Amino acid sequence: MGFITYDVNRYTPKQMMVIPLIVLILSLALLGYNMATTGTLLTPGMDFSGGTAVTLFTADTPDMLRDAFSGYPLISVDGGINDGKYLKFGPMDDAGFQSLAALIAERYPDAKIDQIGASFGKTLQEQAAIAIVISFIGMAIVVFVAFRTLVPAAAVVFCALTDIIMTAAVMTLIGIELSLPTTAALLMLIGYSVDSDILLTMRVLKRQGRLAEKLSGAFRTGIIMTTTTLAAIAAMWIVGAAGQITVIRDIASVLIIGLLLDMMNTWLTNAGIIKWYMLKRGAK
Amino acid sequence: MNRKDLIELLKNWQVALLVVLLVASVFFIFPHAEDGKLATNLQYGLDLSDGTWLQMEFQAEVVGFETSRPVTDFLTDLQKELDAEIYLIDDNKLEIRKFVPQAELERIFGSAGGELTSYEQGVSKETGEQVKQILEQKLNALGTRDAKVNPLTSLSGVTRYVRVELAGVSLSQAKDIVGKQGRFEIRIHTTGNETEHVLYGDAISTVGIPSQEPPGSDRWGVSFTLSGEGADQFREAAIRYGATADPENHWLDMVLDDAMVYSAPLSNDLAAQLQAEPIRQLYASTGPGQAGLNAAKNLEIHLRAGALPVEVTVAGSGSVSAPLGDYFKSMSILAFVVAAFAVGIVIFYRYREPAIVLPMIGTNLAEIVILLGIAALIQQQLDLLAIAALIAVLGTGIDQLVIITDEVLHEGKVPSPHLYQKRLTRAVGIIMVSAATVVIAMIPLALMDLSTLRGFAIITIIGVLVGVLITRPAYGKIIMAILSK
Repeated sequence: MGFITYDVNRYTPKQMMVIPLIVLILSLALLGYNMATTGTLLTPGMDFSGGTAVTLFTADTPDMLRDAFSGYPLISVDGGINDGKYLKFGPMDDAGFQSLAALIAERYPDAKIDQIGASFGKTLQEQAAIAIVISFIGMAIVVFVAFRTLVPAAAVVFCALTDIIMTAAVMTLIGIELSLPTTAALLMLIGYSVDSDILLTMRVLKRQGRLAEKLSGAFRTGIIMTTTTLAAIAAMWIVGAAGQITVIRDIASVLIIGLLLDMMNTWLTNAGIIKWYMLKRGAK
Repeated sequence: MNRKDLIELLKNWQVALLVVLLVASVFFIFPHAEDGKLATNLQYGLDLSDGTWLQMEFQAEVVGFETSRPVTDFLTDLQKELDAEIYLIDDNKLEIRKFVPQAELERIFGSAGGELTSYEQGVSKETGEQVKQILEQKLNALGTRDAKVNPLTSLSGVTRYVRVELAGVSLSQAKDIVGKQGRFEIRIHTTGNETEHVLYGDAISTVGIPSQEPPGSDRWGVSFTLSGEGADQFREAAIRYGATADPENHWLDMVLDDAMVYSAPLSNDLAAQLQAEPIRQLYASTGPGQAGLNAAKNLEIHLRAGALPVEVTVAGSGSVSAPLGDYFKSMSILAFVVAAFAVGIVIFYRYREPAIVLPMIGTNLAEIVILLGIAALIQQQLDLLAIAALIAVLGTGIDQLVIITDEVLHEGKVPSPHLYQKRLTRAVGIIMVSAATVVIAMIPLALMDLSTLRGFAIITIIGVLVGVLITRPAYGKIIMAILSK
């Protein structure tokens, strides 16, 4: 695309990898700080910590809503356009929830209510963590089997890992919680972030020709790939955010962050490693 | 492209398969008019229709044990100490139908002369299936429009949760329906077809699981115990109406919600015992073989009168109103359409060539139609997360078409057929690897039953498979045919 002026061949491998490494270290520091202060890497959302989420459509202002639900552990009121409101409540006992559900049914009949008990949330969280680990290992195995050479395969896996770590760091930074939808988005990133890495590695390892040409060819294709995906996801984000569909909005947010970071990791880190690897191999 | 070229193209098996699947998918999705509105065979999840979900957690656990004592002695002691129903589900696994924390169980097992070797909250898969049956019977009896009951079983075979989804029912209604019990009654034949009331279901204190009597024979039945008061009522009625003296002419009927579910005479032994004293432990035999076992299973459910064999608590619940469900549905469609346009614009900006862009977008949409066709065929529910998966499939599907296009159009020229085939194979190779990573990444979610994430994973996996196996190779052939003009 015309407006991207980055030349994948202009810098040495070391220069390429400096920026992502700094970002990675900052991300790890942020997540470490989070772990030390809160005991979790990412802020667990309602799906995992337990609580009640309510989506409703009303012209009432957030203050009026706070007033209406003053007897319940209301945590936050989020507003979108379209009079859509998204309310979050902390955990409450069954009687409290029943009366809340009855109140909502009476005053705001067009609502979506979801309630997750604390222990159920904890189970979901444990399973989600297991799912992420298994997915990652599975992806790594596929990559190693596909390339059967240590350095290129390790580079792809490393990039996917940095994608996830950086995305998680940005999520904490801008306050996106870890929920079922965002877990799904992270898992999707594991699969999709390696897309462009695989393209790059395949092109460089299996095509004939000069390294510089192969790199810039892969870059051209890779950028168009990521931008098309970004276009679809951005459309999803716009509709999700405007329409106050939090599930769609959150998934789209995480995917956008992840894909942007993936561009950096693929075309700086991975391209840097593979360039270094090819130069070293060529020198022998 | 003229008619002859088109036929030539269709002779390609990948292209032919694409067309066949496309037609089949439209058939499976079956868009038709219903009450003046467009309807399809697609199944929508709760957040896109209206209804309620309830996820209930079993207050029970499956534990492993070891003991040097005879197992039956050990179990008798445990039973006494725990005051709960205990079933041996394996040589060294127990189902305890009462919630007891792990530390306490360890202590109790220790003092009974054994050791707790594993602990997992939930029930055995069989009990989970039985709960599913009970709930389904109850929901069917109430004529609930569209109900789904899914026990969620972990990979270790322990069912911890059961999820119920009810369309068109509010949250409070749903809780009532699930908690509601049927009215169970035992009646006795007096003269002719006349019957008299003996006792109600509240007099039944415990119900056993199907067992053989005598043990090891092929004759099945269900044991149950009566409360002290119930045993007195039972004895009194049996004596008063003459069942102890003449069992054959005074059969006993079990009635659930006014429908007879079991009828049999007292056995001669029981008649004689009852004459002497009240009996609390009773056994209803259902006959030999598989038929007897099935009848026993049904009878057990009936004896419980819709009550679940294990106590449950609500772990999570939610509901969506009909207008909001419709709103989410139309927003989902909007998101999808906007995404498709966005992708189209980016692709057009890059290639500026309708002969490339149109087949690309066409292939991409065909992929989605086939995916929806499969979803309709396997009755996979579409919910908001599944829509997100669908849009992601759209976005990455076009990615891979870009890989193919760039690979075969290397240096802007159309290569010779031989070179073309080589390049297409290489492009498909790249695609296969990245598809494999996505599928592998999604498999844990498809297997683990993490609530709504399962549908998300299934849609993603199907989408990727349809793409790499069918539509993208076909696109390779189509683009070749178009460009070699």
